[in-house]
Amino acid sequence: MTEHVIEVRDLWHWYLRGTPLESVALRGASFTLAAGEIVGIMGHTGSGKSTLVQHFNGLLRPHQGSVRVFGTDLGDRRADPRSLRRRVGLVFQFPEQQLFDPTVGDDIAFGPRKLGCDRAEVRRRVTDAMTAVGLPFETFKDRYTFGLSGGEMRKVAVAGVLALEPEVLVLDEPTAGLDPRARRDLLTVLRTLHDERGTALVFVSHNMDEVAELVTRVDVLADGRTVLSGPVRDVFREGDRLRELGLGVPAATELAGALRDRGLDLRGDVLTIDDAVEAMWTSSSSPAA
Amino acid sequence: MDEFELSRSVTIGQFIPGTSVVHRLDPRAKLIGFVVIIAGVITASSYLGNAVAFGAVVLLVVLSGIPLRYLFGGIRPILPILVVYTVFNFLFLGNYDPTGSPVVFRTPVSLGPWEFAFTVTDNSIRQTVQGIFRIFDLILLSSLLTVTTPITALAKGIESLLAPFRRVKVPGHEIAMMLAIAYRFVPTVAEELERLMKAQASRGADFGRPGRLQFVQRTRQLVPVTVPLFVSAFRRAEDLILAMESRCYVGGAGRSAVDLGPLGRADWAALAVAAAFTLALWRTPFPW
Repeated sequence: MTEHVIEVRDLWHWYLRGTPLESVALRGASFTLAAGEIVGIMGHTGSGKSTLVQHFNGLLRPHQGSVRVFGTDLGDRRADPRSLRRRVGLVFQFPEQQLFDPTVGDDIAFGPRKLGCDRAEVRRRVTDAMTAVGLPFETFKDRYTFGLSGGEMRKVAVAGVLALEPEVLVLDEPTAGLDPRARRDLLTVLRTLHDERGTALVFVSHNMDEVAELVTRVDVLADGRTVLSGPVRDVFREGDRLRELGLGVPAATELAGALRDRGLDLRGDVLTIDDAVEAMWTSSSSPAA
Repeated sequence: MDEFELSRSVTIGQFIPGTSVVHRLDPRAKLIGFVVIIAGVITASSYLGNAVAFGAVVLLVVLSGIPLRYLFGGIRPILPILVVYTVFNFLFLGNYDPTGSPVVFRTPVSLGPWEFAFTVTDNSIRQTVQGIFRIFDLILLSSLLTVTTPITALAKGIESLLAPFRRVKVPGHEIAMMLAIAYRFVPTVAEELERLMKAQASRGADFGRPGRLQFVQRTRQLVPVTVPLFVSAFRRAEDLILAMESRCYVGGAGRSAVDLGPLGRADWAALAVAAAFTLALWRTPFPW
């Protein structure tokens, strides 16, 4: 049996509970993450994705239901979430807005310094984090933070979290608002991080293509509840259900479906362009067959 | 209570729809009425008078149907200021009390090279208690005003109240617009601050850990949130300017506006009650 790093059961959360502005954000969400896994969370705007991930490092406490992270029960008021925040790195939506230090190096060093690392260790962590996101240390460490491009600032912000060397990295819509190239770069960075360091990833997105490409398992949230959950191929088979929830399927899946409707004999689990190409060649309707 | 839920304590600038008497009053009547009551509140100079004023404010809140607990949440953030206020009153007012009121308690304090007396006099207690009451009243009243009045209605009200001063070149429309924008952004900035605190906590920042009175540490902790907060405030301001200019906004000059119409019977009644209350509060000789 695999050890679960994050385990969320029937989680409820209300914002401004007990005031006239109270609103319920989660009504029974569930989630699990095993060590070294890549899990996606999809959902319409307002479905509770961001609220859910903020429970993973104890920024929010469960109002009902249970959240266990690395064996710590966050429902327990006495549990100190600060030690968890080093192990579970959370990258917020539009993280470039949280940069504050004039130089890139110092901004990334914020976390390690807070952890009490010595100079050499801070330097090592900053160098590693910058290399991981593809910003060469020597060229970028003294650059002016607020003079960088949007994509570069996003990378600096991700590096700022990576410098904590978390075992789990949670990213809330990390590619939103990036141009296609920066988007590609970031996905590659994440993939490498997982493959080389074994970092578990939680990837929140409503871009189906990115989810299909990066993750192995996916949870779908709607209206604060987990409505679909499973291996990414199984979830994307439920095209109609996903469309009903205001989501969709990856472009390649969409295309394969359209071709199947026209009578072509194609597999049902096409997710990426590569899948589609392969499915075409191996199809019984293919001239190659 | 959630660690980072700041919006809970920001009750100014947050409109909560409703159908109570307080909600339905004309914004002009509400503004004048509140100013009149505030005048009453700050001239009350006896314990009983302050208690009565506070009672009246609480009654208004009850009438509005807004839960008292919610508005009291707005007082929480200023509690540290009230503590400082009390200490200073005792330190300075007590030692140099011009009224020569009787000393209740006195003890010498030495802080390194400084030696002074911590003196509590009858008058300094009075000043402190009244000050705290007044601040409570003011916060509750101003929260109540914005909580029960949509910001556009409030702006309209201010503009029309300032209209007579246009002759002496008072830019009524601009002032109303500025106030409306400022109020409107209070909850937005609070949300932004909350988001930033969470984001920085996620990368190792540690809020609220040092003792409540370790001001230097607390201030230093705020750098990672204040810098991005200002950056985003300026960005928001620029976006707003752009949005206003692209709709050809030119201020009040030649701008037509929805007429608020004459005040209704309820409005006049509310004004009369407010005026009567303030007069009564002012004239009544409270025993203590």
